[in-house]
Formats: sequence, C-alpha cells, structure tokens
Amino acid sequence: MAYKLENYLRTYRKRSALSQEEVAFLLGCKSGTKVSRYERHARKPNLETLFAYEMVFGTPARELFAGVFQKVEKKITSRAQLLTRNLSRATPTAMATRKLQILEAITSGSGIESDKKK
Amino acid sequence: MNRGTNRDTRILAIDPSTRGFGFAVLEGQQRLIDWGVKETKTDKNRRSLKLITALLEQYEPAVVVVEDYAGKGSRRCDRVGKLIKGISSLALKRKIRIKSVSRAKVKQAFSESGASNKYEIATAIADRFPELAPRLPRFRKPWMSEDYRMSIFDAVAFALVSHSSSGTAISNYRA
Repeated sequence: MAYKLENYLRTYRKRSALSQEEVAFLLGCKSGTKVSRYERHARKPNLETLFAYEMVFGTPARELFAGVFQKVEKKITSRAQLLTRNLSRATPTAMATRKLQILEAITSGSGIESDKKK
Repeated sequence: MNRGTNRDTRILAIDPSTRGFGFAVLEGQQRLIDWGVKETKTDKNRRSLKLITALLEQYEPAVVVVEDYAGKGSRRCDRVGKLIKGISSLALKRKIRIKSVSRAKVKQAFSESGASNKYEIATAIADRFPELAPRLPRFRKPWMSEDYRMSIFDAVAFALVSHSSSGTAISNYRA
C-alpha cells in the first residue's frame, strides 16, 4: 500500500488558488496561522473544522486526511479480523451471523452502509 | 518505511534558478501535490539547501529529481552545479534515491506532442495540471529574462520525465 501524507490540505488549497487567510475566513478562524498549522500537520482540526474543509474543497475527509485515514483503516481492519476470529469460535446464532457479515463488510472495505444495500 | 509503489511514488523535483529554486512534488504522474518557488537572496546555496531539507522532511519523497547539469543541453553555472551536488548529498544522507534528468531528455520526451521549446513544454504541463495555469508565464521575447516561475514548470518536467523508465513520449503525459 502506498504511504500517504498525513493530510493534503495544502494541495487542495493551492489547487483552489485560495490563500491561507481566505481559507481561514471560510473556516471561521481568526487568521491564516491556524490553517498553516493544519497544513504542516502541527495541529489537527476539530470535527466542525473538518466538515468545513469538506465543504470548502468539495472532498471527503478521508481524502483530505488520507494518511490519517490509512492508519485508522489498518487498525480497524486488524481489530475486525480479530473480532471475526473470536466470533467464529462461538456457537453460531442469528445475531453472530449478522455480526460476522458486518465485520466482513468492514474488512473488505465496503463498510456497513453497502451491506444494507444487499 | 514504504514511501510508495511505482504508481504512487512521491517525487520531489528541484530546479535551481537565479532567485533560489523551483520545486514540484508529484505522486505518480497524475497527482501534483505541491509546487512553488523558494527565494534566497544571499548565501544562495546554503539557504537553498536549508529550504530543501525542510521540503524533504515535509514530503518524505521516495525520489529526488534534479537536472543532469553535466548532460547535453545544460548551460548551468558553477554555483548551480555545486547546489545540485549538495542536493544529491542531502538525498543520499537520507537514503532517498536521486535521479538526474538532462534538458535534452526533457525536450525529446515532449517533442512528440509538438512542444519544441520551454514555453511550449510549460504550456503542455499547464494543460495537464490546470492548477498550474495561473502560474504560466507570458511568452518570452528575445530581450526578456526568463520568468522566475518557469522553474516550477522545469521541475514538473523533470519529475514527469524521470517517472518514465522507458522514455515514454510526452504525448502520453497529456491529460
């Protein structure tokens, strides 16, 4: 798997031709200093700012913070595989079967929502 | 640490100029991550190397690309030659692969798409990466000095040509 940068905020901002001050204004920050810290990975934005970034750049958070998402994905997949092994050892019930289906969706990367569509 | 497969390899390309240097960071051939010109007024080489070190730390590229200043088509001065050597040393110290690309190779790679000079090559690059279009300098007349922004396009050109292992013609690089 390719190693991604922690975030691509600077990339998207430069593509948009917006300055740090302009992005700061859109995010509701007082100055471009905060934006600079986000771009240099010196600070992580809160949830509201994350959604604001999604709106400003029209890009999902998982792409804006591709490196962070990559790390989280790896951890969750590993935990889901462990949970799958544990559940598989237990007595099969309807509930356990459903859980295994969800875990399968998580480890395959398709997620719970795509499982709903089945 | 895996710095990327071939398809997504992160490349930092640097083109020294009179003002400092132009740079471009690409992931593969399709994705332009960062670009710009860094200016140094005095003690150019030392300050340039300091700025390049910061770029290496920020982007952790798998490959650094510079001009083959001893290659065909190069008319670089001694100072730039020393700077390029310094960049190579920096990369080697950090165990980053270094690639040199000559200007002649860049011209050859872009020639198949009909780009025969620097301006046409820069225009082809701006077509491929529209985010660079606002930085495209005006066509240079004989009495004009080279616009400092041209070093950004030179850096992108080096990166694109270096990524091709089989010398793929630049027509394949067009969007």
